[in-house]
Amino acid sequence: MPRSLWSGSLSFGLVNVPVVIVTAVRDLDLHFRQLHEKDGAPIEVQRWCSKEDVEVPYEEITHAYELEGGGQVIVSDEELEAIEPRRTRTIEIEQFVDLGEVDPIYFDHPYYLLPAGSDDGSTRAYRLLVDVMARTDRAAFGRFVMRAKEYLAIVRAHDRALMLSTMLFADEVRATKDIEAATQKSHKPSAEQLKAAVAVIEELSGEWEPGEWKDHYRRRLQDVVARKRKGQTIKAPEPRETAPEEAPDLMAALEQTLAEMRGGEKSGKRQKQEA
Amino acid sequence: MPRSIWNGTITFGLIAVPVKVYSATESHTIHFHQVHDEDGARIKQKRVCSKEGKEVPYKEVAMGYEVRGGEYVMLEKEEIEAAAGQRSHTIELEQFVDREQVDPVFYNRTYYLGAGSDGEDAYRLLHDALERAERTGLGRWVFHNREYLVALRSGDDVLVLHTMRFADELVGAHKLDIPAPSRKPSERELDMAEQLVDSLHKRFRPSAFKDSYQERVRELIARKAKGEEIEVPEYEEPEAPDDLMAALEASLGNGKKSKSQSRSRS
Repeated sequence: MPRSLWSGSLSFGLVNVPVVIVTAVRDLDLHFRQLHEKDGAPIEVQRWCSKEDVEVPYEEITHAYELEGGGQVIVSDEELEAIEPRRTRTIEIEQFVDLGEVDPIYFDHPYYLLPAGSDDGSTRAYRLLVDVMARTDRAAFGRFVMRAKEYLAIVRAHDRALMLSTMLFADEVRATKDIEAATQKSHKPSAEQLKAAVAVIEELSGEWEPGEWKDHYRRRLQDVVARKRKGQTIKAPEPRETAPEEAPDLMAALEQTLAEMRGGEKSGKRQKQEA
Repeated sequence: MPRSIWNGTITFGLIAVPVKVYSATESHTIHFHQVHDEDGARIKQKRVCSKEGKEVPYKEVAMGYEVRGGEYVMLEKEEIEAAAGQRSHTIELEQFVDREQVDPVFYNRTYYLGAGSDGEDAYRLLHDALERAERTGLGRWVFHNREYLVALRSGDDVLVLHTMRFADELVGAHKLDIPAPSRKPSERELDMAEQLVDSLHKRFRPSAFKDSYQERVRELIARKAKGEEIEVPEYEEPEAPDDLMAALEASLGNGKKSKSQSRSRS
């Protein structure tokens, strides 16, 4: 069971569900420890006071916020809790939404909510929320405070569990008005081009099977470690020359692609991933 | 004009689309730093060799992968960078999938794409074709010493690129061991819960929610700076209902009230 990051309750009308938050993401990255190159000894990171030049034990460390125009203020976790005591302990469902209408750009980190206790009151209320959201195909929206930050959250049913995704605030998503999106009329594709491009996309289409997409980076890193262990030296691959052959024009490139795909050689939707 | 963080080409079939990549998100969180409680001085971190007890400059730091307790394979930073894969300036869209099929839980960071020089027609074509086909493209992107799986979607006007989590990085719900209640919720309880869901259903407008908390952190800091005492309120932990049905009935009776509460503060 992953470690709980927050505990409190999810409130649905007057129904309270005591819950804890655990992460839904497993860290599979390879972790490296810093070593001193010349003797191979592990490096310890020590915390030192910049004024006294002594090492500071963890208990003597606190958090300070910088003031505009210089100076700082020390604020404790308890004092931060005073800002929003209710939301620090409660995720109140403020509304229900159709998941499909939420732009995926807002989704941040996924977590699970788990019942905080195994008593019948908690587990039945938890199950009721799972079942009602699965049945209505709707997601709950609420806000809460975790580690001195307020989060927007969407909670939904996922395989008999409640999954919570933290969401970005609208002002954390940048406007697109300064991005060159070629929206001028002159760049609009012709009906023929659009039809051909959709045909290329359809030729390359398949089912979304997330498990088939492997993390090549992780595998290569494991391989680098294994080779190094055997005493081999590792060299970075030469950058590939990537000036793509300029297609003479869009329509010609589309037609040539379709001709190749529909011709003898079957396009490698799957094979390409193996590379 | 924002600055692009990567310039390259997206390909599908033999069609090349020159693009510029921009960050789509930014954080507004107030950051704090660590200080020593007795004198308020900044804490700085020192790298110290565990054998010599002396500070180690960054250029003498190598990376160690622990293969057995206390036994490390030592690699130089450049050797780790070698795993990033072949540096190229191309993202090849290898497969397209139904855009409704990709659960947003897979999306990690988001970027906007702009049209690269002389690529405006190809950019618009790819955008409009994705929109028409209602599909998302998948490919791999080498960026900052790492290779990512990426999904390309058509946004309102722009092309949107998401780095993706891999399936094995997501914890399956079946691994969670969620305790089951002795009795499932009854049909009647479910029906009432459904009424409650309906009464609270409305269109989601992200712009309606402002991060007022950050503002109040600033206020708290200002009060504290003036020497004010901050009172920490008691908070009573709400409990799970003994009687689920009664709690649902009471919620429905108060349906109007909870609606107005939900609008009260944004």
